[in-house]
Amino acid sequence: MRWIIELIFRYKNISSLLLTAILSLAMLSANTLQQQKIARGLTLTLFFPFQFAISQIQQAKYFFSENKKLKEEITALNLKCNTLEQAEEENKRLRKLIGFREQFNYSLIPARAIAREPSHLYRSIIINSGQKQGVELYMPVINKSGIIGKVIQVMPNISMVELLTDPSGRVSVMTKKNNEVGIVETVDGRKLFIKYKKHAEIHIYDTLVTSGLGGIYPRGLSVGIVTTIEEKNDPLFKYVIIDPTVDFEHIEELFVIKSSPQWSLLCSELDSIGKKQ
Amino acid sequence: MIAISIKWFAFFCICLILQTSLIPLIAILGIQPDLLFALLFFICMKHGVIPGIFTGFFMGLGLDLYAPALLGQHALSKTVTGFFLGNFNEKIFRTDPILKTIIIIIGFLLHDTLFNGIQLLKNGEQLSHILIQLLTVTIPRAVYTIIIILLVYFWDSEIKPNLRR
Repeated sequence: MRWIIELIFRYKNISSLLLTAILSLAMLSANTLQQQKIARGLTLTLFFPFQFAISQIQQAKYFFSENKKLKEEITALNLKCNTLEQAEEENKRLRKLIGFREQFNYSLIPARAIAREPSHLYRSIIINSGQKQGVELYMPVINKSGIIGKVIQVMPNISMVELLTDPSGRVSVMTKKNNEVGIVETVDGRKLFIKYKKHAEIHIYDTLVTSGLGGIYPRGLSVGIVTTIEEKNDPLFKYVIIDPTVDFEHIEELFVIKSSPQWSLLCSELDSIGKKQ
Repeated sequence: MIAISIKWFAFFCICLILQTSLIPLIAILGIQPDLLFALLFFICMKHGVIPGIFTGFFMGLGLDLYAPALLGQHALSKTVTGFFLGNFNEKIFRTDPILKTIIIIIGFLLHDTLFNGIQLLKNGEQLSHILIQLLTVTIPRAVYTIIIILLVYFWDSEIKPNLRR
């Protein structure tokens, strides 16, 4: 075996010639059918890489255009999907609101938040209902979760609503369980708290609703849930931190309760007494 | 090595395209130059016997597959021609234009004799017919191809250096 290899290497020119000549003669000596078979096999073997490369290039070209087209389609579908999702969410919200409106005894003016205060504090919002829609000053504003705030400025078609989170606002609330009354306040616009007397029976997860004593908000509207009770050094009060039921960062659809403040009646009575005198 | 092979393969493709498209347009009395033979000649002159043999074989095989008549006919004739031409490799054998011309004519005659011989053996053609073909077709073809080869040599030795300068 070794000597054959040595011979091939020694006479490599002649060996190469013989090898290729034998191959050629083998092809020549084959009959037509076999030749066709060999030709087909060789064509496939020799040209397949080129055909494959060309087809890959064509495919790549197709993939690029397809990719571009698909990206466009995805973008369009995403937009459509987002719009539909928004519509679906809005639909859900509106359905809930309709149900809520039916349950509620007061007359409600539907509205939508159209602008927010540009600062990081959620102190006020602008709604798209105003005098023309029947909105008046100090009307309470609510949504399906609970109270949002009160109207503090009215214009023909828009109104400004002071949110519950405004440090200057106060709301009289009570626990749903045992009617312990307190006033919701805030200092930083984020943490809502109530100063209760030390002996008041307050528990974590107690639900707080409006007491109706402030004169603006009707009784029984959901305000928040007690999350923390802080016993500070204060000998008279304990601080009850509440988590509001309304998500003030995502206010969209809302209602203005068509009710005048109770103290407006008192004011008019006082006015009438004054006139009589 | 791969770069050289790719370069020659590209030349083969170009020559094959030209041979089947442009060359028939410059035929004189039906006689056309053989660009593939010219390419084989250049390869053999530059790289020697073994590249000449294998180039001849694969070039012939390619032609056999491109225009199938007798599979192996081109392969065998070009292999033997490659072997013959490869023996006059420029690296070991200094050749002048006259000798090159003689080598090309002999190479052509060898190629066509083999090619027609295979035809004769396979299809039973007459020997006289082959001889006539050698005289009337092969030699004019060889002359025409020599002109092309000389033009290439002229380009390579005269025009290209001037362009570089």
